[in-house]
Amino acid sequence: MLQNRPVIRCLLLAVALFGASFSMVSVADRLSVPALTTFRADQTLLLDVAIAGDQLIAVGDQGTVIRSGDEGLTWQQLKTPFSVMLTSIFFTDEQHGWLVGHDGLLAKTEDSGVSWRKLLDGDQINHLRLSRLQAWVSELEAQVHAEPDNEKLAEQFDTAQWQADDAAAALEEGPSVPLLDIWFADDQRGFALGGYGLLLKTDDAGESWQYWGDRLDNPDSFHLNAMTADHRGYLYIIGEAGLLFRSVDQGEHWERLDSPYDGSLFAITEYQDNLYLMGLRGHLYRSVDGLEWQAIDTGFSASLVGAVASKDRLVLLGHGGLVVQSRDGKRFSRVDSGSRRSISAGAGLPGKYVLVGEGGVRTLEADNE
Amino acid sequence: MNKLSQLLLAPIKASEEFAERFLFHRRILVLVVFSFITLFLAWQATQIRPDASFVKMIPTSHPYVENYLKNRDDLAGLGNSIRVAVAVNEGDIFTAEFQQTLQQITDELFFIPGVDRSALKSIWTPNVRWTEVTEEGFVGGPVIPAEYDGSSETLEQVRVNVLRSGQVGRLVANDFRSAIVQVPLFDKHPDTGEKLNYQELSQQLESLIRDKYTSDSISIHITGFAKVVGDLIEGAAQVAVFFGIAMVITLVLLYLYSRSITGTLVPLGCSVIAVIWQLGLLKLLGYGLDPYSMLVPFLVFAIAVSHGVQIVNTIAQESARGADSWLAARRAFRALYIPGLTALLSDGLGFITLIVIEIQVIQDLAIAASLGVAVIILTNLFLLPVIMSLVGIGDHATQRARRAEQNHNSFWRKLTWFSQPKGALFAVAVALLLLMGGLYQGQNLQIGDLDTGAPELRQDSRYNTDNRFITENYSTSSDIFVVMVTTEAEQCSSFASLALVDRFQYYLTNIEGVQSSVSLVDVSKRVTAGLNEGSLKWRTVSRNQLVINASLSYVPAGLMNPSCSLLPVIIFLDDHKAATLERLTAAVEQFAAANDSEEINFEMAAGNSGFEAATNEVIGTAQYQMLAWVYGVVGLLCLLTFRSLKTLVCIIAPLALTSILCQALMASMGIGVKVATLPVIALGVGIGVDYGIYIYSKMNTYLVQGLPLKEAYLNTLETTGKSVAFTGLTLAIGVVLWVLSPIKFQADMGILLTFMFLWNMLGALILLPALACLLNCGPASGSKQPISSDLEVNDVV
Repeated sequence: MLQNRPVIRCLLLAVALFGASFSMVSVADRLSVPALTTFRADQTLLLDVAIAGDQLIAVGDQGTVIRSGDEGLTWQQLKTPFSVMLTSIFFTDEQHGWLVGHDGLLAKTEDSGVSWRKLLDGDQINHLRLSRLQAWVSELEAQVHAEPDNEKLAEQFDTAQWQADDAAAALEEGPSVPLLDIWFADDQRGFALGGYGLLLKTDDAGESWQYWGDRLDNPDSFHLNAMTADHRGYLYIIGEAGLLFRSVDQGEHWERLDSPYDGSLFAITEYQDNLYLMGLRGHLYRSVDGLEWQAIDTGFSASLVGAVASKDRLVLLGHGGLVVQSRDGKRFSRVDSGSRRSISAGAGLPGKYVLVGEGGVRTLEADNE
Repeated sequence: MNKLSQLLLAPIKASEEFAERFLFHRRILVLVVFSFITLFLAWQATQIRPDASFVKMIPTSHPYVENYLKNRDDLAGLGNSIRVAVAVNEGDIFTAEFQQTLQQITDELFFIPGVDRSALKSIWTPNVRWTEVTEEGFVGGPVIPAEYDGSSETLEQVRVNVLRSGQVGRLVANDFRSAIVQVPLFDKHPDTGEKLNYQELSQQLESLIRDKYTSDSISIHITGFAKVVGDLIEGAAQVAVFFGIAMVITLVLLYLYSRSITGTLVPLGCSVIAVIWQLGLLKLLGYGLDPYSMLVPFLVFAIAVSHGVQIVNTIAQESARGADSWLAARRAFRALYIPGLTALLSDGLGFITLIVIEIQVIQDLAIAASLGVAVIILTNLFLLPVIMSLVGIGDHATQRARRAEQNHNSFWRKLTWFSQPKGALFAVAVALLLLMGGLYQGQNLQIGDLDTGAPELRQDSRYNTDNRFITENYSTSSDIFVVMVTTEAEQCSSFASLALVDRFQYYLTNIEGVQSSVSLVDVSKRVTAGLNEGSLKWRTVSRNQLVINASLSYVPAGLMNPSCSLLPVIIFLDDHKAATLERLTAAVEQFAAANDSEEINFEMAAGNSGFEAATNEVIGTAQYQMLAWVYGVVGLLCLLTFRSLKTLVCIIAPLALTSILCQALMASMGIGVKVATLPVIALGVGIGVDYGIYIYSKMNTYLVQGLPLKEAYLNTLETTGKSVAFTGLTLAIGVVLWVLSPIKFQADMGILLTFMFLWNMLGALILLPALACLLNCGPASGSKQPISSDLEVNDVV
């Protein structure tokens, strides 16, 4: 399946050319239908949680956004004008936050989540992508004309052309590409990343976005899963098939680093100035500089998908309710999370962790050993 | 009106003369014929079998059930299934010993007749699979690996597979201390057409599974409709013991009352014959005994005894006046023929009105009860006086009757106060107060079952204990409500359909009482996440139809039909209380109204709770319909007999008061209106009207003779009144023992019927004359030819 993606894309193209109409966004589409409210919103599948001032805000399935003012004891569902699955949320201060979700949804709040304004959807992203890729094709075409013998350039040109065709097909297919993570460097500059190599960049707090995926060396259009910055200000993007990118210039240019693993990477975090990379089937790696990685065996094989790093403790979260923690960053021990349901993300509070995932919110007391 | 009723009553009167002549001149022939019929029907009755069917207990013409029946073939296992939970007493299920037991139980269940083998599910069946994505791609397989050998490595593999199969909380308990075998059943076997034998099935489950595998380390818990029915049949059989006890008590009371051995044994014997005939005829007509109609023989017996008592009582009075056995019996026959027939007819017609409720068990009950009443006409109205004419009542009873006629009993005299204006006003005022109280309390009357688990059985029964075990340890309850989402062919898995159903399931989470729901959407979401390395961020309906199609390459049975036009949403509920079901159906209706279109429809309902919701709706409307019918029919009969509206009021008003008080009693005891209790009111009215008819017709006789109301009333009390009081007690004794039944609804019926029999008796004895006094009733015009024991028998030869 993973290896077959190009085939599927071709099939998709074929279907699209046939004029299949399944992609037409109807009036009652989940991108524009407000989320239903339910008194069990805090038990819905939740995928990310963020701290905004003294509040916690979590997002998840069916456009659910919930907020807690008492460290996760009680939650209120907030109104949202969309009902797609929301995958990630990021706040730069108490008021300003962004969230992303499936079908290319990107939205912003300026009042701590009380109201949300849609900034982008998958259709607009498809257009952004297509025009950027077409421009890229033209640029490369000119360069290939100038240097007909440059094989690398020719290869790049092929990739660009293929991706542009793909983007044209995607236009027919509709807003089917999900955004999986959102990350802001400061209150103006941010990135949104998602499936099939999708990367977007803003310099004006999300009011306008540029397609940035062509900056990554990702010819197979693998999914981009997460993004972070280290203490030196370097940016990292990780993804499917061991994708690992680094930017040393605030995200203008990206280099592909040698990856210690060729399976999916789900999360990257920094703890005590070391980088931790984790992914499918419990794979965990540690690096001082982001270039040399050492494998760490936690003894567990469930996928690790999230991390909460505090001053003196690193907690990793995974499928099947797996929670492991470490103080020295080398030896990990399991913490009983009280459930075998998968965890997606967490937030660290004084003395406890608020975790979200299957079955909604759960809190975990930090032990004081 | 007069002409009409004369026209209607003419055949009854004509039949009286013919019947009387035939019966009393061909006594031996009559006895021989009755004996043969009784022998034949007794032979038939011994062959009657307990019987219960799923479809019989649900209202088949309700739209919910119609929707279900329309899609029934595609809803395998959602209609009728049982769950067998195999639990360890210590440790968890990942031991070789436990897995072997589970495998054996799965195999054992596979071979039990009536099981839909293709849909049988446990972690040992190949249709339960796990799926996961690894670096190598998408993998999956049965939960029990092919190389399973009971070693700790393969057991660990089982543990891992269980976790990724998504069956935790469904086929495996949340605490990993038990596992479930899900066993769908055929109501009617598709190949052989054979009806599922619940009793046999239940016994097989007990002997082949529970008894065989229960040990120090393993315990078995079984739930499901079929098990409830099996337990019901078993419990109902214990009712036979109550029948015996009721008979003995009746025997003693009869003797104390009549002081005559023949006057005791003959009515008792005739009543038993009535029961035999009723059972034999049911068998002949092809009916079985379901747990509901199981109670009918009691009723038939009690009604038969009460009529028998009336006749024996009259015979004793006639004997006291000097008639010989033959003449006394014949006079009693003549005196009681019309009121007896009217009373029995109104019983029977009152019961038959239950047929308006379109639930087959109630209709069967109606037929069984009406049949029983019809039989009583023959056995107790015809046969009993004939036998009495042969054996005589005995001197002891005759003298006693003579003494009674001479000495007015002071107790009865006190009651005459109620036929005087003052007492009458008092009685009616009290009745009005009770009426208001009853109406007020009756507002709390609820439709449907109020208890959790199987409300048919007691809360501490094994079934309900088992049910609690499963509810506590699994995420899926045994209260299942299925919404059938229908689309055009091949559209059930389109993005639009799945996205809307996804929203619907989210919508359901906002309904109190809904635990969780499952549909094709969950499969698609789970597998889509699987296609993306199990990432929760992909656990949603993909907008890409090709991804959806790939995600549905393997669909567990029952989540879509072969033509992909049906997509059931299985909803698990906290309980099946009427309020929960109403909340759910209202919410689903609202969602359907907002989202139904040409492409997609949300239709209710299947699953046990779906049927219960339908049953509740049917019962909710039927209860008033039924009351209207039963009172209409009974009222019309009274009107025809007595031809006076005042009389009608005198007879019906006490009954209506009892009905209302009965509802108040139900409300205060937490008994809901349901399949089991709905017939009670009709039965109560049907039987209660007897008292009124007997009392009024007797009183009317005296009024016609010119006696003032008070005297007429006193005379009535001393003759018919005495036997009515006695009858009320016998009937009450017949049913009060049901309170001890292991079956909750029989106990409920017992309480309610006892209450109704006693109150109806009091109503007839006190409220009826009080009303007669206040309404200033003269002799009813219809009885120009008074029905009187003083008639000369002029055609002796």
